[in-house]
Amino acid sequence: MSVKDRDPLTGHQTTGHEWNGITELNTRVPRVVWFFILVTHLWALAVWVLLPAWPLVTTSTKGILGLDQREEVAKKVVAANSDRAVWGERIKSLSADEILGDPELFARISDTGPQLFGDNCAGCHGAQATGGPGFPNLIDGAWLWGGDTDTVMETLRVGINAPHPDTRWAQMPAFGRDGLLPRNDIRMVVDYVQSLSGVKSPADTIAAGAEIFATNCTSCHGNDGTGNPDAGAPDLSDGFWIYGGDDEAMFRTIWGGRQGWMPAWEDRLTETERKIITVYLQHVRQDTVK
Amino acid sequence: MMSNLTGAERTSAMLISGMGVVIGLTMAIVGRNDVMGAQGWIVLAFSAVVFFMVANALYHPEPTEDRTTSYYDDPTKVGIVLALVWAVVAMGIGVWVAAQLAWPGLRFDAAWSSFGRIRPVHTSGVIFGFGGNALIATSYHIMQRTSRARMPDQVTPWFVLLGFNLFCIIAASGYLMGVTQSKEYAEPEWYADIWLVVVWVAYFVLYIRTLARRNEPHIYVANWYYLAFILVVAVLHIVNNLAIPASLAGAKSYSAFSGVQDAMTQWWYGHNAVAFFLTSGFLGMLYYFLPKRADRPIYSYRLSILSFWGITFFYIWAGSHHLHYTALPHWVQTLGMTFSVMLLIPSWASAGNALMTLNGAWHKVRDDATLRFMMVAAVFYGLSTFEGSFMAIRPVNALSHYTDWTIGHVHAGAMGWVALITFGSIYALTPVLWHRERMYSAKAVEWHFWLALAGTVIYVFAMWNSGITQGLMWRTYTQSGTLRFSFTDTLIAMHPYYVARALGGLLFVTGACIGFWNVIMTIRHVSKQNRELDHPTSPKATEPVLPVAE
Amino acid sequence: MIKTILKPFAKFFELQARTHYRVERHSMALTFGIILAAGVGGFVEIAPLFTIDDTVEIDPDMRLYTPLEQAGRDIYIREGCYACHSQMIRTLRDEVERYGPYSLAVESQYDHPMLWGSKRTGPDLARVGEKYSDDWQVRHLVDPRALVPESIMPHYAFLLDAQLETDSLPDRLWALRMVGVPYTDDMIENAAGDAVGQARPDSDRVNGVVERYGQQTAVRTFDGRSDMVTEMDALVAYLQILGRLTDLPQQIQPQPEE
Ligand code: HEC
Ligand code: HEC
Ligand code: HEC
Ligand code: HEM
Ligand code: HEM
Ligand SMILES: [Ca+2]
Ligand SMILES: [Ca+2]
Ligand SMILES: [Cu+2]
Repeated sequence: MSVKDRDPLTGHQTTGHEWNGITELNTRVPRVVWFFILVTHLWALAVWVLLPAWPLVTTSTKGILGLDQREEVAKKVVAANSDRAVWGERIKSLSADEILGDPELFARISDTGPQLFGDNCAGCHGAQATGGPGFPNLIDGAWLWGGDTDTVMETLRVGINAPHPDTRWAQMPAFGRDGLLPRNDIRMVVDYVQSLSGVKSPADTIAAGAEIFATNCTSCHGNDGTGNPDAGAPDLSDGFWIYGGDDEAMFRTIWGGRQGWMPAWEDRLTETERKIITVYLQHVRQDTVK
Repeated sequence: MMSNLTGAERTSAMLISGMGVVIGLTMAIVGRNDVMGAQGWIVLAFSAVVFFMVANALYHPEPTEDRTTSYYDDPTKVGIVLALVWAVVAMGIGVWVAAQLAWPGLRFDAAWSSFGRIRPVHTSGVIFGFGGNALIATSYHIMQRTSRARMPDQVTPWFVLLGFNLFCIIAASGYLMGVTQSKEYAEPEWYADIWLVVVWVAYFVLYIRTLARRNEPHIYVANWYYLAFILVVAVLHIVNNLAIPASLAGAKSYSAFSGVQDAMTQWWYGHNAVAFFLTSGFLGMLYYFLPKRADRPIYSYRLSILSFWGITFFYIWAGSHHLHYTALPHWVQTLGMTFSVMLLIPSWASAGNALMTLNGAWHKVRDDATLRFMMVAAVFYGLSTFEGSFMAIRPVNALSHYTDWTIGHVHAGAMGWVALITFGSIYALTPVLWHRERMYSAKAVEWHFWLALAGTVIYVFAMWNSGITQGLMWRTYTQSGTLRFSFTDTLIAMHPYYVARALGGLLFVTGACIGFWNVIMTIRHVSKQNRELDHPTSPKATEPVLPVAE
Repeated sequence: MIKTILKPFAKFFELQARTHYRVERHSMALTFGIILAAGVGGFVEIAPLFTIDDTVEIDPDMRLYTPLEQAGRDIYIREGCYACHSQMIRTLRDEVERYGPYSLAVESQYDHPMLWGSKRTGPDLARVGEKYSDDWQVRHLVDPRALVPESIMPHYAFLLDAQLETDSLPDRLWALRMVGVPYTDDMIENAAGDAVGQARPDSDRVNGVVERYGQQTAVRTFDGRSDMVTEMDALVAYLQILGRLTDLPQQIQPQPEE
């Protein structure tokens, strides 16, 4: 092949080579390619001047805009915080009923509550706050520690059995495993506890169970089994169960004890956020009850 | 096939596979208390099979043909079939992976079948198993043809091809057993990494030796790309995989790097695995098969130079676009962003060069599905590089990163570009390699084309939608300036797209199965045709002087 | 206008193309050209990360992973959790508000390799430590959809019955020391025992664990099983330490409502 070979179709010269039948034209680089090379390089140059870009052994260029991603986001977060503080402060200081009664503040709650609850609480208490085995229902009105705003806020702040210095302690002993009660006694006390919420069992086991209950359980759950919010001991007569009210589940509760762990949210959620969730829960509860 | 080896070559092949048996046995014994032991048995079995195949032919008569008058195509043939096997298996697993995200229960109740373990089987299977075999096989074909020289010996190409497949098998079986370093696209453990270095060095030597024997004064562009692919992947692989094994009797190792430095090294590797494995290598393929099939000269030699060096130089800088807004210092991110944008021009230059080459052959594109595979591949190459450069801009990446948008981009490149150019090349190559008149069924090629195109489009559109939806949902604010959606809300929104993606993947893999069938039928049932001029001719190449551009 | 601007480029390229025409005849020239062209970028971007001081923040109180946590990390890698979960909160407002303070380089200083991830099919886990109870983590890993019905996460129930392999822990800590994690001889020697001790609050090994790894170390029956130290123990111990190796992020970032 010689240099003068031309592609018959375009009339362009080839480079004169042929590899297994493949040839190349010697067409010049189209001008638009040069143009876009120029544009992208100029843009890059501008960015290098404006932003941190090139390393210099122990430091780097900072760019004349003096921007840094960390300061940028810090500024945005601070600005967002102060924007929200306008209504956040009011939410913190007002009572739940006042907030729910104020259309503007109520809008904040219904804007914010679902996401906060969804990303932090729903994993345990369910998307509808109805709980599940081991995780209490938050809208059934049965409370371990009490359901008024301040109490719930405190529960959220410190958690239950959580690694927080002020955490609420709620320890249901393991009567069976630790050898405090024989298997049979537990069966009887189960029957007794079930009878508190109207489940029928033979009268004599209930009576025997009542006796066992009186010596072992009343210190926490109270003489009548209605619980003690100061110790987080649940009401056993209301028919609401965290771990289940059937023979099997309750036997396991008393045999192995229960120490539910509710995380402390003080470090993770701000006071306003905790207040929003608390009020949101109250709202959901009212909504469901209605 | 084995009887095409000379006696001396058969002996060295037996020695090498015998050593493989010994290594496998050693691994199995030393690592008996660890998953490494199981991997040893795999090495042993693989080497033993090769050993016995060679041994079977040990006393066959010596080959008599004059080997300098022909090309050595046996390993190429095997490589093509292996590529197709990997394609069907790994893309099939891709569909399974996709289905698990739509219906998480769709698995066995066994540890190996969980998403985290089979996903890398898919990614390594398609990239290395399918892509790697296709690259090795086509490179053997192309380097011989464009050099007008036979490969220097007949053992090295087998060593490279089979050694590489052994690596892929160790990798894939390892993931199922939980053997992984977690570095994306470099997951295999230290012993597999070391093995790959050995294979790769042999590959490089083979390539360079063939080039050295060439009967053409100039090295054709396709070879530049293959050379860049081999060289840079070697460097990337060695550096990114530096690690200290906890014990020589176990699989577990710990990366030499940690934290930010590890992140930067990993994505310097990861991004350039894309660049030099999934781009350079396949551009080499394109540069040979497209002009050949279209029977047109490459549009511009000068544009080839510009895009080759542009790609080689700029790509390396772009890795940090995988780490925007992270704990990686801001300055590196700026470099990654700017170089990614500058990279677009050489990338488009090569896509444009390919498409302009088709000028004068568009009627063939219309009629010939094989050429159409290549044309559409070039279009998707242009599309995914444009998308990539766009996603590399920090504010855009703020939205796209961590979402399915990335997955959509990956598959626009991987299915639309890598897989389509490979299928096109395989259809062009098969009749040549096996000396057949044509493919068994032109209609099947047509079907494959439309299934592949439909699959890719469905996949990519589904992922764009889900990615952008999810990215936007994560940052949607309420009027109160608080986040609107919980993470679970976004999960629910993803479901329909995940179903669509699995469907697209199913179409795509169906096409691949048809292609596999078609190739096998071509080999078995299409009549022979003796091709002229598919052998080295006498070395009388001339050296013209480069004329001025016009 | 554009023509004149572009002219020098074209001139230069003409010269370059002619040089190239000669160079491309030599495979070794191409080889070195490629290595050179592809070498620069990586060097300029990676090497300074080791020399520029403020690349990684300094926190002398940065904790090490205990052997149990490290074993859990290895399981996290083995199961491919990183394929769905990132551990990197970016410097973006929505991420900081959803997941907590953005991640610092120092937090993964001892992570060989890092697990920043590249896809968030599930939520970011950089600060998931102590966000849930051990019990929740276990139940979630055993059956994610029992707790989160919409979840598409795989289940890992087998971890609860798999005895944790601790014999290799001294070797693993040794290897980590080789790559720069400051484990002491004492820590390496006692690695296997410490792993068991951390998951057995009633055993006499607890003191050693606390002594070597600090008062803050969580010593609990993570998986609720007191008969056996399982892979679940290790994985949950690891999940519960995520984001809690240092409190530098909380210190240097603006706290809402101060
Ligand atoms: C790791 C699981 C978990 C998460 C996450 C969780 N909780 Fe709880 N929560 C519990 C458990 C377990 C209890 C019951 C503790 C017990 O049994 O003593 C509980 C108890 C409570 C109580 C006390 C109920 C009472 O009757 O006094 C409130 C209120 C509560 N959670 C609200 C929330 C809110 C609001 C969130 C989110 C910010 C949340 N929880 C997140 C597990 C969790
Ligand atoms: C030391 C205080 C204490 C004593 C004594 C005690 N309990 Fe409890 N009990 C608790 C606490 C606290 C809980 C809540 C644990 C939790 O939710 O994690 C509880 C929970 C329960 C529950 C589960 C309620 C549900 O909703 O599922 C049952 C049933 C129960 N106790 C029965 C008994 C019986 C019967 C006895 C005596 C044999 C007893 N308790 C003794 C503190 C005590
Ligand atoms: C197929 C993807 C996938 C894999 C693999 C996966 N996860 Fe998940 N993960 C999810 C999804 C989706 C969620 C959100 C829904 C939920 O909570 O289940 C999630 C949630 C979580 C959460 C709760 C995070 C939070 O803040 O609510 C933890 C912890 C977790 N995963 C740990 C793991 C661990 C450990 C592994 C590996 C052993 C793993 N995941 C593997 C998808 C996955
Ligand atoms: C049948 C067609 C295919 C299907 C159904 C499929 C499916 C998938 C799925 C479900 C994932 C995981 C995405 C996630 O984690 O969210 C994935 C990842 C991936 N696939 Fe495919 N795939 C197919 C073809 C291919 C091909 C042909 C290639 C390459 C040549 C490829 C390369 C990859 C890569 C590199 C990833 C990792 C992406 C990342 O981490 O960002 N896939 N694929
Ligand atoms: C100019 C060329 C390209 C540029 C600038 C580019 C840029 C990018 C960017 C910005 C990302 C997302 C990173 C993140 O947010 O995590 C990405 C991911 C990816 N790209 Fe490209 N891309 C280019 C071409 C290609 C091509 C041709 C392919 C071929 C298959 C490809 C394959 C991938 C893969 C596999 C990933 C996923 C990496 C991961 O696991 O996270 N890219 N690319
Ligand atoms: Ca590796
Ligand atoms: Ca990825
Ligand atoms: Cu990239």
